[in-house]
Amino acid sequence: MAADLAGGGGAGAAVADPDGPDGVRMTWNAWPRSKVEASKCVIPVAACIAPIRASPSLLVLPYAPLRCKPPCAAVLNPFARVDFAAKIWICPICFSRNHFPPHYAAISETNVPGEFYPQCTTVEYAPPSLDASAAAAAAAAVPAPIFLFVLDTCLIEEELGFVKSAMRRALGLLPDHALVGLVTFGTQVHLHELGFSDLSKIYVFRGTKEISKEQILDQLGLSSAGIRPGAAGAAGYPKAGPQANGLHPSGSVNRFLLPASDCEYTLNALLDELQTDQWPVEAGNRPRRCTGVALSVAAGLLGACMPGTGARIIALVGGPCTEGPGMIVSKDLSEPVRSHKDLDKDAAPHFHKAVKFYDNLAKQLVNQGHVLDLFASALDQVGVAEMKVAVERTGGLVVLAESFGHPVFKDSFKRIFEDGEQSLGLSFNYQNPEGQMRLRVTTITRRWLDGSANTEELVEGFDQETAAVVLARYISLKMEMEEEFDATRWLDRSLIRLCSRFGDYRKDDPASFTLHPNFSIFPQFMFNLRRSQFVQVFNNSPDETAYFRMLLNRESITNSVVMIQPSLLSYSFNSPPAPALLDVASISADRILLLDAYFSVVIFHGMTIAQWRNMGYQNQPEHQARFLLAKLNPSATYNSAHEVAPGSDVIFTDDVSLQVFCEHLQRLAVQS
Amino acid sequence: MASSQPFPSAPPRPQPGFSPSPNPNPSSTADALQTLQIGRAPPPSAAPRAASIPFSSPASRFGLSRPGPPPFASRPPTTSAPITSNGPPAFGLGASRFPPPPPVAQRPPLAGSPASIRASPQAQVSRPFTGSSPSVPPPSSQPFMGSPPSSQPFMGSPPSSQPFMGSPPSSQPYMNPPPSSQAFMGPPSSRPFAGPPSSQPFAGPPSSKPFGAPPSSQPFGGPPSSQPFGGRPSSQPFMSPTMPFPGTPASSLPFGTPSWQFQTQQGAPPMPGTMQAPPRMFGMPPNMSGQPMAPFPPVTGHSPLAGHQVSTQSKIDPNQIPRPVPSTSPTLFETRQGNQANIPPPATSDFIVKDNGNCSPRLMRCTMNQIPCTGDLLSTSSMPLALMVQPFVLPHPSEEPIQVVDFGESGPLRCSRCKGYMNPFMRFVDQGRQFICNLCGFMNETPRDYYCNLGPDGRRRDVDERPELCRGTVEFVATKEYMVRDPMPAVFFFIIDVSMNAIQTGATAAACTAINQALADLPEGPRTMVGIATFNSSIHFYNLKRASQQPLMLIVPDIQDVYTPLHTDLIVQLTECRQNLEQLLDSIPNMFENNRVAESAFGAALKAAFLAMKPTGGKLLVFQSVLPSVGIGSLYSREAEGRTNVSSGDKEAHKLLQPADKTLKTMAIEFAEYQVCVDIFLTTQMFVDIASLSVIPRTTGGQVYYYYPFSVISDPAKLYNDLRWNISRPQGFEAVMRVRCSQGLQVQGYSGNFCKRIPTDIDLPAIDCDKTIMVTFKHDDKFQEGSECAFQCALLYTTEYGQRRIRIINLSLPCTSMLSNLFRSADLDTQFTCFLKQAANGIPASPLSEVREQITNLCINILHSYRKFCATASSSGQLILPEALKLLPLYTLALVKSIGLRNDGRLDDRSYWVSRSASLSIPMAFPLVYPRMISIHDLASKEDDGSLLSATIPLSSEHINDDGIYLLENGEDGLIYVGNMVNPDTLQQLFGVSSVDGIPTQLVLQQFDNDLSKKLNDVVNETRRQRCSYLRLRLCRKGDPSGLFFLSYLVEDKIPGGLSYVEFLVHVHRQIQTKMA
Repeated sequence: MAADLAGGGGAGAAVADPDGPDGVRMTWNAWPRSKVEASKCVIPVAACIAPIRASPSLLVLPYAPLRCKPPCAAVLNPFARVDFAAKIWICPICFSRNHFPPHYAAISETNVPGEFYPQCTTVEYAPPSLDASAAAAAAAAVPAPIFLFVLDTCLIEEELGFVKSAMRRALGLLPDHALVGLVTFGTQVHLHELGFSDLSKIYVFRGTKEISKEQILDQLGLSSAGIRPGAAGAAGYPKAGPQANGLHPSGSVNRFLLPASDCEYTLNALLDELQTDQWPVEAGNRPRRCTGVALSVAAGLLGACMPGTGARIIALVGGPCTEGPGMIVSKDLSEPVRSHKDLDKDAAPHFHKAVKFYDNLAKQLVNQGHVLDLFASALDQVGVAEMKVAVERTGGLVVLAESFGHPVFKDSFKRIFEDGEQSLGLSFNYQNPEGQMRLRVTTITRRWLDGSANTEELVEGFDQETAAVVLARYISLKMEMEEEFDATRWLDRSLIRLCSRFGDYRKDDPASFTLHPNFSIFPQFMFNLRRSQFVQVFNNSPDETAYFRMLLNRESITNSVVMIQPSLLSYSFNSPPAPALLDVASISADRILLLDAYFSVVIFHGMTIAQWRNMGYQNQPEHQARFLLAKLNPSATYNSAHEVAPGSDVIFTDDVSLQVFCEHLQRLAVQS
Repeated sequence: MASSQPFPSAPPRPQPGFSPSPNPNPSSTADALQTLQIGRAPPPSAAPRAASIPFSSPASRFGLSRPGPPPFASRPPTTSAPITSNGPPAFGLGASRFPPPPPVAQRPPLAGSPASIRASPQAQVSRPFTGSSPSVPPPSSQPFMGSPPSSQPFMGSPPSSQPFMGSPPSSQPYMNPPPSSQAFMGPPSSRPFAGPPSSQPFAGPPSSKPFGAPPSSQPFGGPPSSQPFGGRPSSQPFMSPTMPFPGTPASSLPFGTPSWQFQTQQGAPPMPGTMQAPPRMFGMPPNMSGQPMAPFPPVTGHSPLAGHQVSTQSKIDPNQIPRPVPSTSPTLFETRQGNQANIPPPATSDFIVKDNGNCSPRLMRCTMNQIPCTGDLLSTSSMPLALMVQPFVLPHPSEEPIQVVDFGESGPLRCSRCKGYMNPFMRFVDQGRQFICNLCGFMNETPRDYYCNLGPDGRRRDVDERPELCRGTVEFVATKEYMVRDPMPAVFFFIIDVSMNAIQTGATAAACTAINQALADLPEGPRTMVGIATFNSSIHFYNLKRASQQPLMLIVPDIQDVYTPLHTDLIVQLTECRQNLEQLLDSIPNMFENNRVAESAFGAALKAAFLAMKPTGGKLLVFQSVLPSVGIGSLYSREAEGRTNVSSGDKEAHKLLQPADKTLKTMAIEFAEYQVCVDIFLTTQMFVDIASLSVIPRTTGGQVYYYYPFSVISDPAKLYNDLRWNISRPQGFEAVMRVRCSQGLQVQGYSGNFCKRIPTDIDLPAIDCDKTIMVTFKHDDKFQEGSECAFQCALLYTTEYGQRRIRIINLSLPCTSMLSNLFRSADLDTQFTCFLKQAANGIPASPLSEVREQITNLCINILHSYRKFCATASSSGQLILPEALKLLPLYTLALVKSIGLRNDGRLDDRSYWVSRSASLSIPMAFPLVYPRMISIHDLASKEDDGSLLSATIPLSSEHINDDGIYLLENGEDGLIYVGNMVNPDTLQQLFGVSSVDGIPTQLVLQQFDNDLSKKLNDVVNETRRQRCSYLRLRLCRKGDPSGLFFLSYLVEDKIPGGLSYVEFLVHVHRQIQTKMA
């Protein structure tokens, strides 16, 4: 395990990049030739790719890619076979023969373009203009990134204050040319017109009514003027520059989206004036909060921008949507927000409607090429489970915190806008942060296996970390999509099948069972996955589960593995920091344990250390012990308390320990 | 009434407050007046102008009151100076009101004699308008038929009128300071409204001059500053044309002389027999005092003169046929005497009421002053049985205010069966221990704390101390039982059209300016709340409660399904947001200057504003300029459809006068339920489908104002004055009204601007002094001869200052089984108004030709009934008209030819006419149908004694000369007709140009420094005062379409498809004969 942690790169950034220059990891790096063979592999053939991962060695080509003839349209790559004499290349994907166009005439064995360099399996094209229709304008006017803030005002004063200061800080960090818009919402949605100098002007939308993009554009007077491809390519692009300051044609979206440099004052003044939602909240009720309509309005407004313009909707939500589309719970406080149990029993009356609503919103945003980021800060759930689909499909960020004053929110929010080395490099679809349109092409190749005999080759090509993550993602999906799905049982069966297939053993002799090193940790991953938040959802709220799963689906294999199986580091006076077994046995009186479970980091003090701490060294809440204990292998439980060494701990659980788990696995795997 | 108010009415009208003219804030001045007056005894010398006195000093304050010169001021090109001068005149008018009091006092006799009262009409008949020399005394000549006797009564007295005029007495009325001044006070402090009246135009009475001289102009003139009108730009508007005729006195003279001369004459001569003798009755003409039916002279006059042969028109002298005669001097009217109801004077005359148990006829008046004992008798008479109730009508300044009675926690005493309220006609029996309800006959126990011994006369000893036992009208303080919630605040929400058209025509700017100025006239205090919104294809609300910041605009873009964008702060106390609001109003026209949105979401804006007002209710004032084209309740141009579908013919034409659909009606009912009253100001240059829009004001107790075609030059002044009057006139909110009557009758229906949800009551989100409700009755039992039938109107409402009151209006009339009594006591004014409203109700429902026929038949049937049952003695060849109804044919003819019933009118004009008629009061009904016309070119030669308006000219083109200039007004519009041979000097004096063609059609009357111009301005201002309406002046030239338009008002003329007056009389006569045969 310790080895694994080191090798898996638990702390891995510094170590060699396990994902390679392509950012691709596969469950199997040698591929079975037939469907039947593949199905016998138990773990599906799968690849995980980080498509826009930054890489210092990335080659950027300043011209348009050369594509295979339709319908293939694959891009020329180092694996293509080339007949330099005939000026022909053969697509490695479809095997079509393609003539090089005239401008490749100079190609020869000694003179090949960048996309042919063998080490350049990943290249990025940055042609002067990718979009033919916008060709003329693109060179002149690079569309500015758009940040449309959607701010919840159904907050207590204190929270609103936190949000405001977070907003102010963010505004200060935005590049001057970035376009900014503001939507606030509570019982109703307020879309602030920033480009109107006579007085503050707000479009108000009712919170209870679903409203289509067309209606929104129509009501904002943007429907006719907005999107006409023919009329000057830039018509739909909110333009930075002088035009945004002066008189706005009433049909222009520029009324609502202004360059940060122009509207910073207005926005700050607006934030100063902004009050919490003034509609009365009846006793025994939740405030009326129309998150759904607010997001519709934001998405609708962005619909007036040219498709492909990079835009993010940054939603700051402080509670559950209680009204209109996307509502997750009624206003009546006597109705609790849905739990996993409710979802399981189909007793969450609003859930499916809300999911459907966000599903449509996701489609709209995807069509427009815009992103939804969600910052949920509340003690209660806000509906992340329902909104998940929209965030995920648009590649948005999600942050879950207890308060807008909590560092998790504050720091995360700031990071988004920060520049510099730690920059998150927010991307806008295929538009890079500088506003250019890019096309990144990664081409990889793997060996085919001959027949079924080559088990050894197959095993050599197995990536157990990737396999664990793929299974975790896969099972999350199945749990969401399939009713009555028994995840634990499904995992157990898969693991048993895998071990039966690839283990070395004599039939019916558990003791003879051994696994190839490439598989050796896999059972442990499964053991921890079974106990993880991804499978044991009942310990969490649906919002938390959704949050975990979104990150699982977005993070690299390395990080995802930590989510499944946290890394545990031990600090003591006697030895340098060292990885510790993720076992309750690792707890001892004179150690500090640091648990990195990705979503949280827990520092656990042994009994002695705890005493020191009690003297006021620091204020780590005791309850986090529970979290750590839940993650540890219950090798010692109250059932086995008599065996426990003094100074160590026991876990009050009925879960089996890893040892017991493995014993059972062996027995079952060898069964004939 | 026919002549409608010319004379008498004018002065009498109490409308204290209203100064139609431009005055920016008359109210302040007015207030000042009141106080002053109150404080000090009326300066005797000052007489009428007493009021003015206070001002003299106030001049300065004047300045104060109105911060800036009225916006208009600037507009009117004329120099300000002239204006001021005008101003005074306006007041002068006001002065006229005063006059009445004194006379009354002095001449009690008149009042006393009931007979005298009714007479007025007759007198008029006699008048020689025609070119005949006015001065000509010989009555004899005038007689119509030539039959001397008949004519005598009226004609009798030659126009010696002057004597009277000149005679000090006449002037005295005005002079009498004390009473008059009080009069102004008009709205007694006790009254809820007291505040509003303040607006009175009078403010500036000429301190120095007594009336003797040309009072009208001078009085006010004196303190120019005070003048409401003068000051304002509005005054400028009116220019007066001058003098064509200076030279031709002869013709003019007749008119020139005080109107009442005629009357007097008439009165005097004919009357001899009658008691009325008093020379100066107000209008009371002739009098047939004793006999109602009295013979009228000419044709009409029933028996005597009447006989003109139908067949031979030649016998009819057009100059002798019955016409309205105005009267100028006020009379005193006691509602009851000797335990009997008196017959009220004409509604358009000038009178002062003393409430002796029956209410003032201004408040409530019946189509007949005796009630038929049976339904059969009523149907035999063919006359309608209906009440016109105008619960907030402005009193005459000299009248005693309505008293307020507080019964404490127990609330007003009511009959325990029918819930009728205690009134002077409940009879106490059994030593006062019990009382019998005069409405349902139930015997009630007298509550212990209300017990009082009876005196020897069988009446309670405390009758005179208890207003509810001795006054026909009284107000009770309402207790909690009468409230479903706390009385609502006075909420005023303005919504303004800012669509492209509205901006470009200047309508938006005019509305903003008008509102800005009118803010000063809103009731003061913390209970006054305001809100504002603008709209085009979306609705823009404004948060006014942002102390440090500029207002916040909140846009509601969804116009299919609207909502209110804020929970609070859309409607704010005026005191908190005044400055913000003023700034906003200033900037709105600029803010939307470049607006290119042509659409207008009227219905949605209304609905959204309503939602904001829903918690409180209140007044919603809408300024709309185009056809509502989008959103809820949008309309389409049905007019165009009507034009293109000519083939569908007239059959379906009336459907275009019905609302396009039910959307707005449904909305309106909801508005009414939440006590929201909507007034719509239509400043438009196109078809806006008034038929559909008017449903909303009509259902919510509001009204439509129509400025078509809107002119940025001439209309803003009227818009401002209309708005100002709208918000400052006496009014009540969240009202419920019910009329009860004695057993034997039952209410058949109500008609007017209200919402009716349950059969017995009508709901009035707002009710004001201009609104009249018609209540019709039918028999469900018989009355005993000699018994009395009582009517009791109970109006529960909230004052602008947040008090809940119940206004009780009682009228008790004798019952009769004699048809002749019915005719003798018939009330033409009320009956005609009733016909007008019936016609208006019928217009959207039936083809025009049918409506006209129905109206004509109503007239014929009544006259036929009279001819058949009451006029046995007369020869068959005569058209016999009951004295009381002798003008019925004229008004019927005029009604048939009115805009609403004409085929050639624009749809909107007709719909507006219909909508206006629905709530119209009796005194305003007459000019609408039979406008008042006077000559202008000869004004300078007329005696300026405040009665210039009484010299009316019959509405016949025979009386129009090419060298003359005429003013015709119907209470809303003023048409100035200029002949093609007018003396250029006159034009120069009146309009400042020497050729007719040089006068702009969009007339803004200016005052120039000459007598003629002054007098014209006086006349116009007086008219404004009388009508509580700022005339829209329009210039009509002979020989162009505007001239034809003018001529279309001359209802006595023969027109294509319409009979002349004489022909109509012949027609009526023939029809009667046919029926008789």
